[in-house]
Amino acid sequence: MSMSRFTLYKKRLKNFFTQFIESKSGVIGLFILLFFVFISVFANYLSDYPIKATQGDLTARFKPPSMKHWLGTDDVGRDLLTLIMYGGRISLLIGFMAAAISGGIGTAVGLLAGYFGGWKEEILMRVTDIILVIPGLPLMIVLAAVLGTSFWNIIFVISIIGWTGTARVVRAQVLSLKERPFIESVKAIGAGDGRIIGLHLLPNVFPLIVAQMVLRIGISILSEASLSFLGLGDPMSVSWGMILHWAFSTGALSSNYWWFIIPPGICITLVALGFTFVGYALDQVVNPRIRRR
Amino acid sequence: MGTREYVIKRAAICVTTIFTIIVVNFFLFRVMPANPVDMMINPLLGREAARPEIREALIRSLGLDKPLWIQFIVYLREILSGKFGVSFAAHRPVLEMIAERFVNTLVLMVTGNILSILLAVMLGVVAAWKRGGLADISSLISALTLSSMPMFWVGGIIILIFSVHLDWFPMFGTTTLGMSHPNTLSYIYDYLNHLFLPMITMTLVSFGGLFLIMRNALLDVFSEDYILTARAAGLNNRTIIFNNALRNAMLPLVTIVAIRLGFMIGGSLLTETVFSWPGLGLTIYQAVNARDYPLLQGAFLIITTLVVLSNFVAEMIYGYIDPRIRSGITKG
Repeated sequence: MSMSRFTLYKKRLKNFFTQFIESKSGVIGLFILLFFVFISVFANYLSDYPIKATQGDLTARFKPPSMKHWLGTDDVGRDLLTLIMYGGRISLLIGFMAAAISGGIGTAVGLLAGYFGGWKEEILMRVTDIILVIPGLPLMIVLAAVLGTSFWNIIFVISIIGWTGTARVVRAQVLSLKERPFIESVKAIGAGDGRIIGLHLLPNVFPLIVAQMVLRIGISILSEASLSFLGLGDPMSVSWGMILHWAFSTGALSSNYWWFIIPPGICITLVALGFTFVGYALDQVVNPRIRRR
Repeated sequence: MGTREYVIKRAAICVTTIFTIIVVNFFLFRVMPANPVDMMINPLLGREAARPEIREALIRSLGLDKPLWIQFIVYLREILSGKFGVSFAAHRPVLEMIAERFVNTLVLMVTGNILSILLAVMLGVVAAWKRGGLADISSLISALTLSSMPMFWVGGIIILIFSVHLDWFPMFGTTTLGMSHPNTLSYIYDYLNHLFLPMITMTLVSFGGLFLIMRNALLDVFSEDYILTARAAGLNNRTIIFNNALRNAMLPLVTIVAIRLGFMIGGSLLTETVFSWPGLGLTIYQAVNARDYPLLQGAFLIITTLVVLSNFVAEMIYGYIDPRIRSGITKG
């Protein structure tokens, strides 16, 4: 039983992979992401410059790109290329965490609502609708302002509004799975609710959840950037959004310090685009509603 | 489901949502780590105000010594009578400050988004007509790239190019500082001159999402039987697009705008902050930075309520245009 299940998963994985690489944009996205993950992870090997604000070279503030500083320096004389490489760590980490948490909440809500139905579903989906209709950014701002700005609060604030899409997709899928014969037969054998949800429904919606989560990472990184720009980021962690916040708040715009503004934004854009490409490609493969098109 | 039940059900959902927002808003600003009185005293008067008798007086005057449910009823009554408290920083009624700035947000959002919708519809038609063609692929990539850009950064780049580099348009505000306008016309010219860059930013940040939805709607329409029939009957492309396809693709536009309204508000908030455009978004930004909680709370409540109400109106319009919706034929 477990052996056949293993070979089944292996076959599915292989199928999945061959379908995924058919998508050109998916592969491009994957390469973009690998590049940024690489420079973030190995930032400390790739650069010798320090990133602490106190360790900047104050005699070299706002220097344009040169051989010494490929992307110039910031308002306290730190090397911007180094900051950007380290910034990738925080931005990606926040993106991953927020997407994982919102994916978890969305999955739980979707599974419970779809499986149990009735008033439980009614309540869960009403809550989903309410969060969906409240403008996201103002809500995140209010939450961040009230809770205070810290690394974990930012992640919490982004996750708490980001789970609704996953919840809807999972619920829709569970509703259709519930009617299938295999669920009815395990029910007839006498499997409990927990077993059906965990062992039979979850594995079947899991690919969908992964696609949703990947799409969510990019959006979460963008949300973090917006919050940081508005002064609601964690000043202790250098993210791409935080670098942009420093750029905007030290007057880099009016002084035409373009090297302080353009590169961090390009990094955010490319990474968000990468996650979108990969997410769409995954969705094409795993989402039965889209595949047919 | 009849028309009347449809209206009642939607209205009930709308009211529940607004009530939930009010409740959340009430508790959110009372469970926060910092005590509301400390937050009021500190920004208002500085350290000396920490004297116990002032604290006591403030607690009593705010009704914070009463049970929570009484506080809630008081809060509800205040809101219903249009009292949203007084701003810490400006010492003015919150509602007055918001009303003053509402027009600017409206102008920015309406002009920017109308341009964006026009652009999305035009490119959507071109893209969907020849799916997978050069126009389709290139507008698809531009739309995805645009929606991957941080919105405030788009504004920054636009300032960098058109304001700092080319010096064609002013960087911030609604009018030139210290300039006296001899007549209304000169005022309007100055205002429009300042509006241009934020408006373009708004157009660009809204475009991505609008285009993707529009393209999908048009792809659906173009594959309908009546379009195929029209094509087979030899009607020319222009007639098919304008008389048949667009009219049907316009239908979901109302809902699209309503669904994306919250997103547009976010875009407006960031655009206003970048360009110091004095609208609701800039108000929220300033309230956050000054830790001006009554202003933040009031602005948030008003914005969310407006969005929920517009959603309700859009549902009504959509139900009116498309009878299938209100009769519940197309459910889900």
